[in-house]
Amino acid sequence: MTQHLKVDAPDHESRLDQMAQGVLGEPVSRSEGQHKITGGATYAADAGAEGMAYGVLVQASVSAGRVTEIGEVPGVLAVIHDPRMLRRAAQGMSTEGPDAGPQQVDFMGQSVALVVAESLEVAQAAAHALQVRYEARQVPVMPDAVDPEVPEDKQSATGDLDAAMRDAAFRVDQVWHTPSQAAAAMEPHAAVAQWAGDCVTIRAGLQMLGFCREQMADALGIDVGQVRLLAPYVGGGFGSKLGINAEAVAAAIASRQLGRPVKVVMSRPQVFDLAHRRSETTQRLRLACDSNGVLSGVGHEALVSNLPGSEFSEPVTQATPFTYDAANRQIVHKIARIHRSCAGSVRAPGEAVGVTVFECALDELAEAAGIDPVELRLRNIPEMEPGTGRPFSSHKLAEALREGAERFGWADRVAPRARLEGEWYIGMGVASAVRVNSLVESRARVTLTPQGRAIVETDMTDIGTGTYTILGQIAAETLGLDLAGVDVKLGDTDFPRASGSGGSFGAASSGTSVYLACAEIRDKIADMMGCAEAGLTLQDGTARCGNIVRRLDDIIRTPLVGDGHLEPGKTEDSVRQATWGSHWAEVAVNRWTGETRVRRMLGVFACGRVLNHKTARSQCLGGMTFGIGMALTEAMEHDPRDGHMVTRDLAEYHIPCHADVPHIEVHFLTERDAYVGPLQAKGLGELGICGAGAAVLNAIHNACGVRVRNLPATPDKIIAELEI
Amino acid sequence: MSQIAFHLNGAPVRVSDEAPTRTLLDWLRESRGLTGTKEGCNEGDCGACTVMVTDATGSRALNACILFLPQLHGKAVRTVEGIAGPKGEPHPVQQAMVDHHGSQCGFCTPGFIVSMACAHLNGATDHDDQLAGNLCRCTGYAPIIRAAKAAQTAPVPDWMTTDLDITCSQISPGGEAAGRGGQAAPLPGFHPRSSDDLAQWYLANPDATLIAGATDVGLWVTKQLRDLSPVAFLSGITDLQQIEDHGDTLRIGAGVTIAALRAALGPRFPSFGELLRRYSSEQVRNAATIGGNIANGSPIGDGPPALIALGATLHLRRGDARREMPLEDFFIEYRKQDRQPGEFVEAVTIPAQAPNLRCYKLSKRFDQDISAVCGCFNLIVTDGLITSARIAFGGMAGTPKRSATVEAALIGQPLTPATAEAAAALMAQDFAPLSDMRASAAYRLTTAQNMLRRYMHDLAGVPVSVLEVRA
Repeated sequence: MTQHLKVDAPDHESRLDQMAQGVLGEPVSRSEGQHKITGGATYAADAGAEGMAYGVLVQASVSAGRVTEIGEVPGVLAVIHDPRMLRRAAQGMSTEGPDAGPQQVDFMGQSVALVVAESLEVAQAAAHALQVRYEARQVPVMPDAVDPEVPEDKQSATGDLDAAMRDAAFRVDQVWHTPSQAAAAMEPHAAVAQWAGDCVTIRAGLQMLGFCREQMADALGIDVGQVRLLAPYVGGGFGSKLGINAEAVAAAIASRQLGRPVKVVMSRPQVFDLAHRRSETTQRLRLACDSNGVLSGVGHEALVSNLPGSEFSEPVTQATPFTYDAANRQIVHKIARIHRSCAGSVRAPGEAVGVTVFECALDELAEAAGIDPVELRLRNIPEMEPGTGRPFSSHKLAEALREGAERFGWADRVAPRARLEGEWYIGMGVASAVRVNSLVESRARVTLTPQGRAIVETDMTDIGTGTYTILGQIAAETLGLDLAGVDVKLGDTDFPRASGSGGSFGAASSGTSVYLACAEIRDKIADMMGCAEAGLTLQDGTARCGNIVRRLDDIIRTPLVGDGHLEPGKTEDSVRQATWGSHWAEVAVNRWTGETRVRRMLGVFACGRVLNHKTARSQCLGGMTFGIGMALTEAMEHDPRDGHMVTRDLAEYHIPCHADVPHIEVHFLTERDAYVGPLQAKGLGELGICGAGAAVLNAIHNACGVRVRNLPATPDKIIAELEI
Repeated sequence: MSQIAFHLNGAPVRVSDEAPTRTLLDWLRESRGLTGTKEGCNEGDCGACTVMVTDATGSRALNACILFLPQLHGKAVRTVEGIAGPKGEPHPVQQAMVDHHGSQCGFCTPGFIVSMACAHLNGATDHDDQLAGNLCRCTGYAPIIRAAKAAQTAPVPDWMTTDLDITCSQISPGGEAAGRGGQAAPLPGFHPRSSDDLAQWYLANPDATLIAGATDVGLWVTKQLRDLSPVAFLSGITDLQQIEDHGDTLRIGAGVTIAALRAALGPRFPSFGELLRRYSSEQVRNAATIGGNIANGSPIGDGPPALIALGATLHLRRGDARREMPLEDFFIEYRKQDRQPGEFVEAVTIPAQAPNLRCYKLSKRFDQDISAVCGCFNLIVTDGLITSARIAFGGMAGTPKRSATVEAALIGQPLTPATAEAAAALMAQDFAPLSDMRASAAYRLTTAQNMLRRYMHDLAGVPVSVLEVRA
């Protein structure tokens, strides 16, 4: 029997709040921490195997064209140029292998071959020496060099925006630019492949094993059942490991051909080239409001880019239609088909750049209208979803803004350039945070042993988010066990298929499947106790029904197994699901150099039930830090001649380091969202980045009077506009 | 047949017949199966490969990815696998990292653990600086800093001090590792013990690559896959590692690391010390030398502008022949220096006092970033008039370069805002900077001018330090 739930209706029961163990939500430390602090956690590149050979990817040195000849190098086991090798990574949740065939080159830096040798050193030297000849093709690499696609289903309009702009008391009509951005997870992509008969086992850094297994089977031309993926530890993802990539497929092909295990690890520059980038965007924002600051018009136009044939296009305007109300609205979405590396999902695709720019525009409107930016936002929060009239599953934006203003000391904010300390202008900025929410089908199996221990098994991954810990907490809470009495096993496609980690849906989706599996076990225990499940209390390894109290290890003779199966249902459409919050930043801008230093930040977030306050808080801290990088330092620069990535190492792609990150506070609003099922928890991994950069940019303006609309706000852009 | 001997996690190891440019990281991971030490970038940017290396002078954090095996001879290496106690007792920083949720995805964690354990051993509590060379993409750093603070008062576990005992007892005054049975085979590469040794050998091998800290040369191997042979490893030349106080002047040996330079000069030249605080990262400062920073002739190195502003004299040696020159004259054009084949940087001499020296580093990221502009100013004001002016910039030309026109315009003028304005306007006569990824030409010129304005404010007592707004 499988406990199956399709979330067709809200669950107001809050059953988890009636459990007795008291471990869910607690800020417990991560359960696998011990392995990580001792070096004992084995990531993909750490795996060894008897007789293992080393493969190194070779990258294209032309922007587009065809490989005409692959040279030979001495001393290697193989030079592989197989038509099944990938030209680009799979997009998240795709069930097919991505474009393959390295004979064709779509962008400079694409993988075209794999050199395999007995040692890493020899493979690296041979890959470096390998001569590849091309028939090169001239192709566009700049977004403004082509006539963009304008897909019909991505455009929408209501009312008359032009008229609203014309008639508005106050208006903003400006263009912003955000550069390509990288996930830059600390673990480079790596894979070790080994065949046994016709079945291959691949240990790799991947976020969504179920989907990746389908992609891999399709890419290799074998059945899903012949592929086993292992990813017990993943060194960060942020979207870059949603789907399979060149290294894993190449390792599998090489391993098959050579009849021995093969390891392929990407160098850091290869990660920058081959992992999906977040597309650069050009965004035109048109906002119109009346004299009270009530929005009458919202226009959001986005130009993004991707390779020809790639379905993904950065969903810049995803949150725009439902965040603020306005009678006249227009969404425009254009895609430039150019030959830069493949664009795909990077932490919070859409909102990360879309909300950030929108919230900058709103700050400009507040300034034009002479209304406090917090107040302007509060005046435009809709009761129902604009356009559809659907209710919101929950909506805490107003509370997040009010609570944040109080906690941050917003009342102390002064006019731009009014606060100079030494040679530093000081200013504050605010932005709303919003991110769409969803569930993805997920399964888990829980076994309660006669010794009273629980084992959770699912192919869910923990990419640093805390999955091991929160799934343990859910099982411990539901089954009345100490957290140490739960073993969580993840990252193996031999386990039931989970949602995977991505899109902020992992915790709620896989967590609910674990809860359902435990609920099935609760039913079985209630049967054994001779009572209804509703009357069953499980706590500290004992079961209690009325006056009957039994120890679990006394009553369980054979393992009790529960299978949980979650599917999203009608609440996906019956309500608008989103998470909400507010970002606050205080910055200092140097009058002589244009340097910006973030002095403090606050994030206030509502995400339904918080499953673990420690891991949840860290997700937000990390997300807000991404926002600092987006606002101030991060940019993938493409060579305008050939499109190649110039900033392809960690010295030139500037993720924030310690001294760039100030004291950050995170505050959670108490919330339960019934429309996402019995867990009542929503996603959190991405909300922290959505709008964080806008708070920083708006604070820069409040400090020194400069609006930087071409991100990131590096010192040169500020100094160019700064009046001494 | 060659052999290198050192201690690894407390146990002696001998490594035979490895190429002199095999990196410690590759050897640890591929030959020893010690995979706790991670490769995040293979060029010293991220710190995921941080190891602790101890010699008789102490323990320091280094990047294993740009550390060649022969550099470890006679030393003791401790990786993340060797930070917990012999019975698996967690080190205080390990426990604190778990308690404070300092590890998320965990990939950067081993590097952080080693950096933190090393700082803990050395009693360092400037955590932002100690950990600036370790990048993390998950946590936002605050939980890691909290962990470092929480652990700082815990006593140093006794197993962490054994490396120092080992290296002190096993290394003879001459520096040779005297392991059981002595040295069985020569070391890979040439390992001079004195500058005389080096001078003689380099004269005979002028095409050789000299390797001091390997923070730049390491990338020639890991990124460019260059064959550097023959190579000489300079870290055993103790006579080049001295800072001599000659009263009016200080003579700084070429082998002095940036970390040692910062410790020695920071109190004397606070602004130079602050510049060196932001010179790359702890791991790099512990390896890189001032001689290397000068000799490689980078237009964006942070050492030369400050030294030129100080009025440094460079000492070169070729065989037994020595010559000296003002440091600025050494830099001829982009990546071309006034250095003969077989000639090497021996030392640099600077004045012992420079109360008006100010050094300003401008970069996109605050730490761990190459300067867009590095401006160093040193005026002498006598009776209200400027009597000496030395102004040098990095990032403004193909070499570190003085601003001669501006300097000339300042001489004889009063120290006033009007003087600064008039002189700043002349900056464009001295420099035509490039636009590149780090900054535009316009920005470089504007901020170079603004640095002069800032300097005048600074001398007038207006607070300017970026420390005021440190995170």
